[in-house]
Amino acid sequence: MTSQVSDAPAAGAGAAARAADLWKVYGSGEAQVIALRGVNVELERGRFTAIMGPSGSGKSTLMHCLAGLDTATRGQISVGDTALTGLDDGGLTRLRREKVGFIFQQFNLLPTLTAEENILLPLAIAGRKPDPEWYRTVITTVGLADRLTHRPSQLSGGQQQRVACARALVSRPEVIFADEPTGNLDSRSGAEILNFLRRSVTEHGQTIVMVTHDANAASHADRVIFLADGQIVDELTAPTADAVLDRIKRLDAAPVAGAAE
Amino acid sequence: MIKASLRGLLQRKLRLSLALIAIVLSVGFLAGSLVLSDTLNARFGSLFSTINANVAVVVQPKDPQAVDPVRLTDDQLRTLSEVDGVRAVSPDVSAQGVIPFRSDDGEPVSADAMLGFGVDGKDDPLGLVELREGSWPQAADEVTVTAYTAELARVKRGDSLKVYVPVLNEPRTFKVVGVAGYSGGRDSLAGESVVMFQQAYAQETFYGATGRYAGASFAADEGVSDTVLKQRIAEKLPSGFKALTGEESSEEQSAQIGVVFDFIKYILIGFAVLAAVVGVFLIFNTFNIIVAQRTRELALLRALGASWGQVAGSVLLEALVVSVLGATLGLAIGAGLGAWVEHMLIGEFELPSAGIIVKPITVVLAYALGVLVTLIAAFVPAVRASSVPPVAAMRDVVRPDKSLVALSVVGAVLAVPGLALVLTGALADMGGTAFLVLLAGAVLLFVGTLLLSPLLARPLVRGLGALIGRGSAGKLGVRNAVRNPRRTAVTAAAIIIGVTVIGTAATVVQSFKTSLEDIMGDSIGVEVMIQASVTAAPDGRQGFNPKALDQVRAIPGVKEAAAWHFDALNVSVANQPSAFGIFATDVGQASRMFPMDAVDGSIRTLAAQELVVDDNTAETLKLKAGDRTPVVIGGVTRDYTVVGVYKTTPIILGILVGLPAVEDFPGPLAFQGFVSLNEGVDAAPVVAQIEKIMKDYPGVQVGDRQSYVEQATASYDLLLTAVEWLLIVALVIAVLGILNTLLLSIVERTRELGLVRAVGLSRGGLVWMVTVESVLITVFGVALGLALGVGLGAAFTKALITIEFASVIAIPWLDLLQYLAIAVVAGIAAAVLPARIAARLNVLEAISYE
Repeated sequence: MTSQVSDAPAAGAGAAARAADLWKVYGSGEAQVIALRGVNVELERGRFTAIMGPSGSGKSTLMHCLAGLDTATRGQISVGDTALTGLDDGGLTRLRREKVGFIFQQFNLLPTLTAEENILLPLAIAGRKPDPEWYRTVITTVGLADRLTHRPSQLSGGQQQRVACARALVSRPEVIFADEPTGNLDSRSGAEILNFLRRSVTEHGQTIVMVTHDANAASHADRVIFLADGQIVDELTAPTADAVLDRIKRLDAAPVAGAAE
Repeated sequence: MIKASLRGLLQRKLRLSLALIAIVLSVGFLAGSLVLSDTLNARFGSLFSTINANVAVVVQPKDPQAVDPVRLTDDQLRTLSEVDGVRAVSPDVSAQGVIPFRSDDGEPVSADAMLGFGVDGKDDPLGLVELREGSWPQAADEVTVTAYTAELARVKRGDSLKVYVPVLNEPRTFKVVGVAGYSGGRDSLAGESVVMFQQAYAQETFYGATGRYAGASFAADEGVSDTVLKQRIAEKLPSGFKALTGEESSEEQSAQIGVVFDFIKYILIGFAVLAAVVGVFLIFNTFNIIVAQRTRELALLRALGASWGQVAGSVLLEALVVSVLGATLGLAIGAGLGAWVEHMLIGEFELPSAGIIVKPITVVLAYALGVLVTLIAAFVPAVRASSVPPVAAMRDVVRPDKSLVALSVVGAVLAVPGLALVLTGALADMGGTAFLVLLAGAVLLFVGTLLLSPLLARPLVRGLGALIGRGSAGKLGVRNAVRNPRRTAVTAAAIIIGVTVIGTAATVVQSFKTSLEDIMGDSIGVEVMIQASVTAAPDGRQGFNPKALDQVRAIPGVKEAAAWHFDALNVSVANQPSAFGIFATDVGQASRMFPMDAVDGSIRTLAAQELVVDDNTAETLKLKAGDRTPVVIGGVTRDYTVVGVYKTTPIILGILVGLPAVEDFPGPLAFQGFVSLNEGVDAAPVVAQIEKIMKDYPGVQVGDRQSYVEQATASYDLLLTAVEWLLIVALVIAVLGILNTLLLSIVERTRELGLVRAVGLSRGGLVWMVTVESVLITVFGVALGLALGVGLGAAFTKALITIEFASVIAIPWLDLLQYLAIAVVAGIAAAVLPARIAARLNVLEAISYE
């Protein structure tokens, strides 16, 4: 698996993750909610993809399913060359160890560990040693060299999220999934994080999928996918913030019949 | 406000149910103990009311235990039976320890009481005993037995029956001429054996002359009340006697029997106290946790206008409800426990039950204990709850753990002087007071250490964690265990308490045993020992006839055989009651068989009115060689000369007199016999031969040197077993406590658990992480408890060595390892449920858990 991991960041080499006819249904009978209605999507390697949509559009569900955190009701999902459908908990655990990285809105650092220990946690769990050169690169990029011995409680929100980014990057996963990574940050810290994600795609060929409802954040991506009522309704390549806002306005103006919420 | 706290109660069922179990356990043991003794008393009460069913008045000696008790004469009995209102008289001629032998294998019968009566050949005037077949005994060599006795001894009418007669101190053979039973068709009242002799023979044998009675029971005429008859009889009563109504006599007798079972009652009370002490910690932790979890909710209540008193009150109300519930359950379970233990104790007795007795006082005490324990434990959490600032409702208010400084300072202030006292008690030579100093020091040190335990938790758990915290999951477990040292320490407190007690007891017992074995191995000349079993204070009326040792001396290979007589009943030396009693033996012979070094005067065979004494006792009594001092044996006071003082050892100590003094003893039987063998003689066949000789003396045991050590330490082993059971109770509660803490941690750390799963930790890894935390808490408690326990045990042993009761400090490594292993298993067991819950968490839900 190690060889695949090191091969992964080669830009443009096919899909890093894909979903085919993906359905997700919660509950049953009257309480039934359909979150995803037959989504087909392919996320290219070495690109920064943003998923946008109104609340309840299914954007978070899509990401959770792609990342193996949630199971699909129907359809095919694969990350790299691994099909997620039918994987048991052990298989999903291995997938998370080797192919997927996460960045959360709530940072989710372990308070008992220092910044450095938090960054190295996924490698420690997988029993792997960090590549020292890559580790130094990551640390320098996120600008945490002088904060490594601090505990999360001694760091600002922006610093904590940078630790979380470093944690996701350090194992060089096939895909990093970021769930509203700037949602809990002020605009300056948020911009830092976005620049930083952008650079890791451009300079290191990392694949990143980010869920956001912030047009400005989405403008850092190579491609924006718009979801509404559990379906992909639009797409934008090389977006600007204005273009994104424009599309959102159009989506709001013509709501799809029967949208969830 | 009340509604809010009651609703909260229902939402925290699981957490509170653990606190509930702690209350149930302590209340259950207390109620069990009380129900046991009341139920026992009721059962025996029903027995004696059966015996006294037709009895209006009982006349008996004021002091039946006296060496030479007063007896009623024929004339006195006649005077009493002529009192107006007496319908019938049943005189009492009886003895205990009348033991039939089985007809087939010659072994003595074993029954719950073994009685002998003298009967006058007529039917029982009180109608309790009825002849079923044959006749009452008419000659000195005839007996009638109860049906149950006939069954036990495997005899029928016409057979001959060998019976050990206590005052004759040897067995005799009689002819069975009749079989009797009790009214109502019962073969026995309570599983007792009864041999009935001709009255004159019994009087002569038991009391030394005909025409003597121990007392009598009287039935009243129609219309004469028991109390009236008692008053009339009391007027004619000879001196030294007292009259009781039948009811009073029943009460007195059942109270005497109840005492026999008191030790079980005390063990259960010990369990109750331990469960209560340990339970306080668990309940404290539970409520602390609940308050911490409810910070936002409590703040909201404050923000909406609740006073701090209302907030504290709501926590206390919750505690009150839990405690009442727990006490109710505990009471029910305790009643069951008491009834069950009573059944186990009495199961082999043929005594009908009188039902389970739960007295009002039992109910009151059960609720008092449950409520008190809970409210004490919930007090600090309630105060904490009341100090939540209202602003915490709006945003997260960081409430850092209070610093450990104040707690640790108090701990040190207690522990340091405690340690100093313990060291002083152990090392300074100050005789008996050393134990008081030690005990005071031990308590201070123990409480101090408990207070210091949060401070010790971090470094100790880290150190232990380095050993078992393998892998990244293990390391995370270690981090979690040291994360909140207060919580870890409080959770481990139950284990610290239990293990300290067991560690101390195990070390003292082991040291004592090793010392005994050392001395036995080094310096004793005794290969075989003969020992009477103790059923009452030995006074020469139990044991074997010293004449039997002549047969022992004739066995080839036997070098010497020494008889030791022992009187522990009302003896005094130098005007002080002698707690250890007085031994009579050939001291010259004893000094050849046992290590007895003279430190003053000489140790030799003693003549009449001479004694030797060990140096500790001599110091206490202020005696030295050459002194004359009054000695009371068997009610006779004589002046004795102190011939010598010998060095105290764990096996020989106390006051020794010569064989001539046995004349004054209440009975002539030897209590112990010691046999030395010639060089190279195998002890086993000699033991077998001596056993054959001693067969005529029921209750006398024969064994080799090893069995002597075992017997000498048996009571300590029993103590240790009781303490081990205490440990188990403490561990059960400790497991509940750990379970409690871990469940809480899992709720608190749901997001973290989700995260470590999201970044690749397997389910197994998560289980391991939780298990490591649990085992670390347990092992921390055990390590601290063992260090404290072994240290205190060694200190107590050192003090014992100073007064020559022991010779070495021996640490029972094997036992300690066992305790450690049990604790690790308990730690793992405690982790099972929380680890499963953690492993089953849905990663996605966990990570977005608020």
